[in-house]
Amino acid sequence: MTEGSVIPPSNRSLLKPAFLAPPVGYYLIFFVAPLAFLVVLGFWIVRDYQIVAEFSVGNYVDIFSQFFSRSRFGWALVQSIYIAVTTSVFAVIFCYLLAMGIVFCIPERYQRLFLVLAILPFWSSYILRLFAWQLILAQKGVLNHVLGELGLDDPLIITNTQIGTRIGLIHYLAPILIIILYVTLINVNRNLIEAARELGATRLQAFWRVIVPLSRLGLVFAFGFGVIVSFGDVLSGLLLGGGIGRSWLGSYPLYSSMIMADYNSYTNLPRTAALATIMVIIMVAMLVVAYRMADRAKRQLA
Amino acid sequence: MVHERARAVTGDTVADLEARGIAKRFGSVIAIERVDLDVRRGEFVAIMGPSGCGKTTLLRIIAGLERADAGTLLLRGEDIGDVPVHKRSTRLIWQDYSLFPFLNVRKNIEFGLTLKRHDKKAVRSKVEAVAEQVHLDHLLSRRIGQLSGGEKQRVAIARALVTEPEILLLDEPLSSLDAHLRIKVQSELTALQRELGISFVYVTHNQSEAFAMADRVVVMNKGVVEQVGRPAEIYNRPATHFVAEFVGANNIFEGRVSDAADGTVVVDCSHGVVRIAGYGNTIERGAAVELVVQADKLRRHQDGDDGQNTIRAILRGREFTGSQVIYHLETAQGVEVKMVLQEPFTEGEGTEINAEMELCWAPEDTVILGHRDAGLP
Repeated sequence: MTEGSVIPPSNRSLLKPAFLAPPVGYYLIFFVAPLAFLVVLGFWIVRDYQIVAEFSVGNYVDIFSQFFSRSRFGWALVQSIYIAVTTSVFAVIFCYLLAMGIVFCIPERYQRLFLVLAILPFWSSYILRLFAWQLILAQKGVLNHVLGELGLDDPLIITNTQIGTRIGLIHYLAPILIIILYVTLINVNRNLIEAARELGATRLQAFWRVIVPLSRLGLVFAFGFGVIVSFGDVLSGLLLGGGIGRSWLGSYPLYSSMIMADYNSYTNLPRTAALATIMVIIMVAMLVVAYRMADRAKRQLA
Repeated sequence: MVHERARAVTGDTVADLEARGIAKRFGSVIAIERVDLDVRRGEFVAIMGPSGCGKTTLLRIIAGLERADAGTLLLRGEDIGDVPVHKRSTRLIWQDYSLFPFLNVRKNIEFGLTLKRHDKKAVRSKVEAVAEQVHLDHLLSRRIGQLSGGEKQRVAIARALVTEPEILLLDEPLSSLDAHLRIKVQSELTALQRELGISFVYVTHNQSEAFAMADRVVVMNKGVVEQVGRPAEIYNRPATHFVAEFVGANNIFEGRVSDAADGTVVVDCSHGVVRIAGYGNTIERGAAVELVVQADKLRRHQDGDDGQNTIRAILRGREFTGSQVIYHLETAQGVEVKMVLQEPFTEGEGTEINAEMELCWAPEDTVILGHRDAGLP
């Protein structure tokens, strides 16, 4: 991209390996090695309640043979992807509007303050936040109590459904998405918005035809990030979604919580590893798709 | 240097744009104190001034991007002061062109036409007609990032023209072009303006641009209009101290009128007496005045230069600019004098640094600031 960057002629300084070694070592020990172990473990078997290092695809055969039947791993996977994508869509819309408000409606010198306020939840514990949401959203929680006082007798059922899962996830994602989208919007060239207005665009047309195309890269980043994080999360689905939360698809648990359950049963660790490997593969696939989309968005602005 | 365009300016007197008493402040900063501006139909008006003089703000007010605090704005007789920006029939060409980087050339040009209900075929043919007019027809499917500065500017112009504006506003459109390209684009712009017959209001800080293109030049400073006139008038007869300093290379002498008789005004300056022709007897004796003498009207005094104003000064430095040489001199009283010559002095007696020399200029070539000269219409 940057043609001006000059590569210095072979840098043989000893500082280079000295500085590179710690991060590379850290990465190898705490990321690559465990991941490799997870993948390898998935091809081992259990015999007499003992893990045996013997290559076999038995775990995968076992998983896929009952994918949409008895174990319902497949349905959980579909549920997970469905929840991850919809959560990310809602989160991006919510955070985009919020970032728009900060960038375009708040005077510049107060913008940082509002940004900090918007991302404040980031510094509180995720689990505590989920419990707080439980108190608010439960069938006999704060929200339904207030609605009851207002005369709405039928309580809203949010916890133990995937709507609850999504609320927890959106709250979790919001601070990061707000920062991504704020940076995106603050870099939108205001002259282009004025140019559109000057050419006859209403405010709404300027939004759809200039601001949105110019934010495309940020929106793709935020969406991709939201999908991958939501897909991998287990806590919101357990604490707010009640483990097997209901959605339009039906009452299926999330794939991540099925891995948790499988792990907790202690019966077949290699099979759990195989399930986790499937999840990792799907996440990598999502990353590739997100990267492709971002690349396309970036090329459009060049 | 200054080409006066052979073109009837005064023939068509239909007003395209009339601005009366426009004022604008941003917080405590006054951008425009009070400005009146008239643009006749088909006229090329340049608003010239240093940065921060309010020229761009004035343009933005006309475009509807800013709201004036006071004053009225009439476009072809219609008050547009309350018309929101997207409903005005003015079009602005931006200094940085402000093209949409995510759209190709065609999509950029058609932007203004696709905002309302439109017939796709009609839009297509309009875009193609305008593209041909500005020689972009072969670039319609290009991305903006692949265009040169000059091509970008043509896209900006096409994008504005395709909406059939009643008046075109240009905000320093040449400032981001290379010097050699600028001259070419200047003549393209004037040709285009003549072809279209619509008014151009052109904002610039560059006097050669303004003088080369405009029918009339408006010189602004600190939010007020200093002078309005044809380029030659502004150049030869500056009306205020600011215009005299801002335009060209002028010498300014301060003095007091000692006599005014027989059509000649005599002024006592620190370096001696200056005679000025062409002002009649209208100026009071004893009045303090400022005199302006263009640096290219000065020359070295020779035998036979009788009846000329003379000044003795010491040569302090010279500046070779290619087509001309600027000599910087100083009188014994400490007044700076500039002289521009097309040909440098030949090396020789009396032309070295710190040599004293005698310069002269004609009485008719002296301007008295703040007084209307009887010789001009």
